[in-house]
Amino acid sequence: MKEKIHSFLASDLLEKYLLGETSTEEALRVERYIAMYPEVRKAYDELQENLEVFAKMHARKTPEGLKERILNRIRNERAGRRKFYRWAVAASIVAMVFAGSSYFFWNQNQELQQKNTLVNNKIKNLEEDMKVQLEDLRNQYIVLNNPNTKKYNVNGNRKAKDLKAVAYVNPVKKLSYINVSNLPQLPEDQCYQMWAEVNGELVNLGIIKQFEDKENLLALPYSDQNAVGYITIEPEGGNDAPSVENIVANINY
Amino acid sequence: MSTLLEKHIVELLAERNEKAISLLYDNYGDTLYGVAHKVVRDDALAQDVLQESFIKIWKNADAYDSSKAKLFTWLFRITRNTAIDKLRSANTKSDKEIQIDVSDVYNLGVSTTRPEFLDIQENLEKIEPKYQIVLDALFFQGMTQQEASDELDIPLGTIKSRLKIGLRELRKIYDAPTLVLLILSMIS
Repeated sequence: MKEKIHSFLASDLLEKYLLGETSTEEALRVERYIAMYPEVRKAYDELQENLEVFAKMHARKTPEGLKERILNRIRNERAGRRKFYRWAVAASIVAMVFAGSSYFFWNQNQELQQKNTLVNNKIKNLEEDMKVQLEDLRNQYIVLNNPNTKKYNVNGNRKAKDLKAVAYVNPVKKLSYINVSNLPQLPEDQCYQMWAEVNGELVNLGIIKQFEDKENLLALPYSDQNAVGYITIEPEGGNDAPSVENIVANINY
Repeated sequence: MSTLLEKHIVELLAERNEKAISLLYDNYGDTLYGVAHKVVRDDALAQDVLQESFIKIWKNADAYDSSKAKLFTWLFRITRNTAIDKLRSANTKSDKEIQIDVSDVYNLGVSTTRPEFLDIQENLEKIEPKYQIVLDALFFQGMTQQEASDELDIPLGTIKSRLKIGLRELRKIYDAPTLVLLILSMIS
């Protein structure tokens, strides 16, 4: 240990540190030695004292007015710094406002883009809907105006005596429609549902809306062979399979 | 320098009170001017150095750590480094006006004596030139002992012993008046 301290003190490192000429690593090493070994600390303190005394011996009278010049420069420095801070504060406010508005506009842009996609999708859906409806209307027109179209009158059984419907079937165009013109009132928790049996397969044609569907022609699946359509009374919301006991009308076409 | 004053100045510096600079100048100005002059060997340049050093001291006051160095050591480092930088840039300038003979800077020995500084340098003469040269090399030129030995063409062992004696002589001069100064500063 003694050896280590001795070689450290002999190495000039402490003197270099005193004058601020050490590298960062060297400085850290010296500071460690100073902190750890009282002998090194003592040597460093002595060097500091000696430096001060030796430097004082070389003191020179400072020229008149130099102190004022230095103090003035420091005052300017402070004023400049204050001015700089003021500018810095102003600049950061501007930057924050800019950042805020940028974010706002970006957000708005993002929202508008989303809305735009939504509107575009709606337009596309509408177009498709219109195409489908137009096609439907065209078919209805064909069926109704075609001389080959057969017309079947459908009447309800005793469960729904007032039920009146007309079915149109065109074997040439292979299209069939039904118009349910009158349906007896049902309790609120029940509804009419239409079914078809085509080639032995049961098809759910959906719920008949009592008022809206009066004016409309509803498409029926077409079959070359014998096809049967039913209208049943089902619980509100419709059923997965027809309740056979509740058949109110049969359509053979 | 009493440690009480040192503490007071350090506190003022931390508070960024201009009075710190005024006190520093009054207490260390002449010494630091001497340090600057010792390096640059020119009145105008030394004044520039002192001015820049005080600006640096003011700006870097946060960097001072009293546990690592005495206040004077820190001031000395800043002034000496500023002076060395100044000298380098002055030497690279082709400006004839401030051209300085480089050899002058590294010329070891007693500084030029002017009558007006005789009183301050009186103490210096108490130390024999051969010790002064070694102290000079150590404190002002920043030479290592080996470098001083090479530069001065004196064996390393002699450098070491002269340094030892030089430092001891220094302490003798230092110890006597400091006591008086301390007492004086305590009374005032």
